[in-house]
Amino acid sequence: MTTLRPRRSAAQRYPHWPIHLALLVTSFLMLVPFYWVLKTSLTGENIFVYPPSLWPVHPHLYFFVDVWYLIPFPRWLLNSVVVSALAIAANVVFNAMAAYALTRHFRGKRLVITLLLSCMMIPFQTTIVPAYLITGRLGLLNSYLGMALPTFSTIVCIFVYKAAFDAVPRSLIDAARIDGLSELQIIRRVMLPLSSAAVATNVILSFIWSWNNFLWPLIVVRDASMQPLPLGLSRFLSDHENTTGALYAFCIMVLLPGIALFLMAQQQFIRGLTSGATKG
Amino acid sequence: MGTTSRAAVPALADTRLRKRDRPAGARGAKRRRELMLVWVFLLPSLIVFLLYRILPLAWNVVLSLSKYSLFGQSEWIGIDHYVDMLHDEVFWESLTNTLIYLATAPFGVALALAISLMVNSDIRGRSVYRTIVFLSYPLMTVAVGIIWRWMYDEKVGLFNFVLRSLHVIERPMPFLQSFEMALPSVLLASVWQILGFYMIILLAGLQNIPQSLYEAASIDGANRRQQFMRITLPLLRPAIFLAFVIGVMTSFTSFDLVYVMTNGGPGHASELLVTYIYKAAFELGKIDYAAALTIVQFALLVALTWVGNRLSGGEAGKVETDG
Repeated sequence: MTTLRPRRSAAQRYPHWPIHLALLVTSFLMLVPFYWVLKTSLTGENIFVYPPSLWPVHPHLYFFVDVWYLIPFPRWLLNSVVVSALAIAANVVFNAMAAYALTRHFRGKRLVITLLLSCMMIPFQTTIVPAYLITGRLGLLNSYLGMALPTFSTIVCIFVYKAAFDAVPRSLIDAARIDGLSELQIIRRVMLPLSSAAVATNVILSFIWSWNNFLWPLIVVRDASMQPLPLGLSRFLSDHENTTGALYAFCIMVLLPGIALFLMAQQQFIRGLTSGATKG
Repeated sequence: MGTTSRAAVPALADTRLRKRDRPAGARGAKRRRELMLVWVFLLPSLIVFLLYRILPLAWNVVLSLSKYSLFGQSEWIGIDHYVDMLHDEVFWESLTNTLIYLATAPFGVALALAISLMVNSDIRGRSVYRTIVFLSYPLMTVAVGIIWRWMYDEKVGLFNFVLRSLHVIERPMPFLQSFEMALPSVLLASVWQILGFYMIILLAGLQNIPQSLYEAASIDGANRRQQFMRITLPLLRPAIFLAFVIGVMTSFTSFDLVYVMTNGGPGHASELLVTYIYKAAFELGKIDYAAALTIVQFALLVALTWVGNRLSGGEAGKVETDG
């Protein structure tokens, strides 16, 4: 994704149109579900009429208005925003601190790194039962903090930071220390400004993960008023299965922030995911 | 020249060391402060991982060996839950389904390999194609599940419409309510969502292969097929393995999609281990049994990753140094 090496010699040897054809078909198949849902969100669908229309007939935006006013969408949006904001802030700060510590040499460093790498092998889904009990003992069930706490630090993101911090010249840090900056100030004034790509990766990944998170809120949230959007969406599905238009308008409204963010910061996003993935 | 500098360096280092060592107490204090600082900085992250990764793993083991009661003392019962599991049909069904899910990974990776080879060529608009293929991956899986439910809808879903128009089927097919079709339908949706991620990983691997190798091979007269078999595939092995591991992980963790699309049904036809664990713990209230299921699931996951690593020649770590 980063740099592309031109393959001039190869280009002359084979025609391009079969590749375009194959990729156009692939793209079509990847995009069709989006189109189908977008169409339904604009027109609704009478499930007793067959065949369904392939094109949006008389499109309107009333379903989007319905979603905003008739269900507690703004409240769920607020819940999602608060939880995501908590997760992003914690990730940006805690991961940077941990990564900065890992750029130092100290006894037990190898142990810590081994520990982090093995923790990556423990998917969150295999911890849900005790994680629920632990959160209960902490008195954090049904709270914003309880929803966000497990995502407060992410191992992948620590390594993304560490790679960026390792590239900062040692002399710069020493100079900052001589100028009397404390270690926290060194992180804030020297390391973070020099690793803006890593910061962006941290923000984007922690946003996407907490924004999309479903299983954990499903376990810890009890009140409908505390639900984040994915949970609201799933409850809406089970309560009003046949109010087609509004359900799919809801889907589109929930997906849009993710799509927008992804299209804006594609490079950072992909770099973060691949570096995270390849680091273990 | 070489010998003199080699001799000079230790001498220099020696004097520096001695100079530094002179205020011994101050230096020790500084090191202690440094060590404390390191651990203070690590602490918040370590607490999160301790609370939500390591402690749960250990607690799962304890829970799985005891009879849990919400009030009062838990009772130690040994491996009873594991014995129960052997007679639990739902467990076997969800295990089978999880393994079937896992078996889609090779197809997904193969498809993604074809796509990544195509978008790695120098055709126009390749970045647009990449974006389109990848777009489905970062999306909220709950919404993706709802989208696919709608695609599979019995009356007005696109699948039924297309298949009926082509006369593949004559009667509307209730994909997600059918015992035979529910699991394959969910699997198709899962491949659709993860395909782009596989593609990105393989693409990163492809771009790590030095172009000079291809140039040398073509000078030696190797054709494109030979180049692919002798250069691309062997050098791509770590990336392919990585994609497989992610596929395995996904089949063990893919909760949202199944929960929204079928909730494991009809019956338990599309139940996965992860959804069964959730149901056992939070719908049936059998927290201890769910913990035992989790341990089995986790052991399988570790074993599969280990086997995969051995099969790939232990080269998974290679990606790490390349990336």
